Amino acid sequence: MELVLANHSSYPRVGASREQQRLRRAYAQRERGEISADDFNRVQDSVVAEVIEEQARAGCELLTDGQIRWVDSISHLAGRLNQVEINGLLRYFDTNFYFRQPVIKGRVAGNGPLVAEEFRYARAVSPRPIKPVLTGPYTLAVSSIRETPLYRDLPTLVLDLSEVLAQEVRALAGAGAEVIQVEEPAILKHPKDLRLLHKALKPLSQAKGSSQLALYTYFADVTPLYESLQELPVDILGLDFTYAPRLPETIARLGSRKTLGLGLIDGRNTRMEAAPQVFPILERILPRLSGGIAYLNPSCGLEYLPRDKAVAKLRLMKELRDTFLQRGKR
Amino acid sequence: MSRAKLEKLGLTLPLLPTSTVGSFPKPDYLLQARARFARKEITQKELEALERKATEFWVQQQEEIGLDVLVDGEQYRGDMVAYFADIMPGFRMGGLVRSYGNRYYHKPIIAGEIRWPGPMTVKWWKFAQGLTSKPIKGMLTGPYTIMDWSFNDYYPDRKSACLALAGAIRKEVETLVEAGAKVIQIDEPALSVRPEELPFAIEAMQMVTDGVPAYFITHICYGAFEFIYPRMLRFPVHNFDLEMSNSGLDLIGLFKKHPFNKDLSFGVLDVHSHKIESPMLVKERIAKALQVIPKEALWVDPDCGLKTRTVEEAQGKLRSMMAAVKEIRQALDKAPKRKQRRIEVGSVVKKRRKKIRKHKYKKMRRRMRHKKK
Repeated sequence: MELVLANHSSYPRVGASREQQRLRRAYAQRERGEISADDFNRVQDSVVAEVIEEQARAGCELLTDGQIRWVDSISHLAGRLNQVEINGLLRYFDTNFYFRQPVIKGRVAGNGPLVAEEFRYARAVSPRPIKPVLTGPYTLAVSSIRETPLYRDLPTLVLDLSEVLAQEVRALAGAGAEVIQVEEPAILKHPKDLRLLHKALKPLSQAKGSSQLALYTYFADVTPLYESLQELPVDILGLDFTYAPRLPETIARLGSRKTLGLGLIDGRNTRMEAAPQVFPILERILPRLSGGIAYLNPSCGLEYLPRDKAVAKLRLMKELRDTFLQRGKR
Repeated sequence: MSRAKLEKLGLTLPLLPTSTVGSFPKPDYLLQARARFARKEITQKELEALERKATEFWVQQQEEIGLDVLVDGEQYRGDMVAYFADIMPGFRMGGLVRSYGNRYYHKPIIAGEIRWPGPMTVKWWKFAQGLTSKPIKGMLTGPYTIMDWSFNDYYPDRKSACLALAGAIRKEVETLVEAGAKVIQIDEPALSVRPEELPFAIEAMQMVTDGVPAYFITHICYGAFEFIYPRMLRFPVHNFDLEMSNSGLDLIGLFKKHPFNKDLSFGVLDVHSHKIESPMLVKERIAKALQVIPKEALWVDPDCGLKTRTVEEAQGKLRSMMAAVKEIRQALDKAPKRKQRRIEVGSVVKKRRKKIRKHKYKKMRRRMRHKKK
C-alpha cells in the first residue's frame, strides 16, 4: 500500500518573523490605500510560493496553495458569484475563526473563474503536484442567508451552486489538476441531507474528466455516515479521525471501495502525535483498503495552527509515515 | 428577571440599563507604547502609566455619554484569552493564528497544570471604580472559552482542562466580590461551538458562580445559537449579553418560539461596521427586542467589544445608542402601563398596529358570522 503525504487545504499565512508577516502588513496597507492592487497581488504571490516551498521541504508530496488568497472558505467563492452579497461575521463551525456570510439575492451564476487562475500560479511555482480545493455546494448553501424567494427551499440553491462549481471543476481538470478536493464539512451536521449531497456531487463528478474528485469532511464525527459516503460519486474520501474514536474500527469492519484520505494528524491542536497513537490505526485499516494507495493528511486545514506548529505537523507526518513503512519492511 | 437581585446588591438601575461589552479602542499613544514595550524600549511602569491614562479617558467618556454600568475598557489587555493565559501558571504563549479577515491573535498553549496566580483583574477594577460612582463591571473570560481558544498539550481532554480553569476563575470572582464588585461579566463567546459540550460548560460556570453574591452576565457572540437554545438558558448567570445586530436580529425568531427567561443585554450596535448607527435604527432594534423581552429584563449595549473601532467611531456609536435609549425611556415613562410595550418608534410599531387592527377586524368578522349563524 502506497501512503502518500498530502496537505489538507489551508496553511498559516503569517509566521513569527517580520518577513513571514508581510502579507498581514500588505492587507493593512491595501485597506489604507497605501499600496496598489498589483503590489498587493505580488505579496500574495510570494507568500503562496513560500508556503508551497515550505510544504515540499517538510516532505509533503501532494501540496496545496495554502488558500493564501482566501478571506475565508465561504466568502472567497460565494463572493465571486452573481447575485451574492457578503454580510456579517459568523463562526466557522466549532473553530475560533469567523467567515463572512453570503446573502443570496437572486439566481446564483458564475462570473468568471473562481480558483483556476490561483491553481495555475501555484502549479507553476511548485516542485510537486498541487491539489486545488473548493468548498462544496452544500456547505456553501447552508452557510448562506437565502434572501430571494427563488431559494425558499435549500435543495434548489444547492443544485444551482453545484452547476456553478461543476464549471470550476471542469476548468481545474482542464488546467491539469490530478486531484480536486471538494470540502463538505456541513454534511456531518445535517446527515439527513446526504441524498441531496449525492445529487449535488453528480455534476462535479461528470465535469472532472481524468482528475480524481476527493470529498473531504471534518469537524464532526463521520462514523455514522461512513458507509453512506461510500456511495457518493467521488474517488477519494477525506476523513477527520480526531472527532471519531470509533472510525478505525468501522473502517476495519467495512473496508473501503474508495481511496481514503486519513486525517490522523490533528490540525487543530499543537500536541504532536506519537507513533503508538497512529500506528495501530494504520495497521488496522490499511489492509482493508482497496486501490493500493491512501493519503495521510492533517484532519483539517492547517491554518488553525501557528506556522511553526503547522510545519512541525507536516514533518511529523513524514517521520511517522517513513517509520511505519520501514517497520513493515522489516 | 433579576431586578430584585440587583436591588438586593444595592444597585438601582433605570429601565433599559446601558452598558458595553468590555473593550474600547486603545488611543494611538497607547498603541505606540505597547509596540515600544514589545521592543523593550520602555519599561512596564511607563506602559502602565499610559494604560491608566487611557482607562481614565474611557471611564470619563462613559460617564459623559451617560452609560449606567461601566467597564474599565481593557486598555491593559491585548486579547481576552491571551491576557489571562499570560498570567496563569500552566500556559505558555503560542504563535499567531488568524481569527477573521486580517485579524490574528496569539493562541495560548496549555502546557502544564493550571493554577490561579492571585488577583488578575482586581487592581484594574479598583482603579476604574475609584474614578466613578457608577458601578464598574468585573470583566473575566469564562473557563469554556479559555479552554476552547487554547491549544491543549497537557490535560487528557477538553472537559478536564475546562474544569481546571473554572477553579482558577472562581477564585478571581471571589476576589473581585471581596473588593466590592457587584456586577461581574464572564464572557463565553465559544459557548455555542460544540453543543454536545454544553453540559460541562454549564458545570464549569456553576463552579464559578455558585453561591457568590453578585449579578452575573455572560457575553456570547457570533455563534450558532440555534443548536444550544433553549438549553443554554440553564447556564447559571442572570443576564445573557448577546450579539444581535450583526446577525440581523435573527435570534428574535428563536425567542418567539421559546421564551427567553433571563435578563438580556441586547446588542444594538454592529461593532464590525464603521458606520455609526442612527438613533432611529437603534430605536427600531430596541423596539423589536421589546416585542420578546419584558422591559424590566432588557439591557442595551453594543454587539461586542468596541476595540476594533476607532475612538471616534466608538464614541459616535455609543452616543447614538444613548440618544435612542433616552427617547424610549421617556416613551415608556409617559405611556400608560398596559400600553407600555407599544413604543412609538417608526415602522416597527406602525406594522404592529396594522397587525393588531387586522386581527381585531378578523375577530369582528368572525363574531358577525357567528351571529348570522
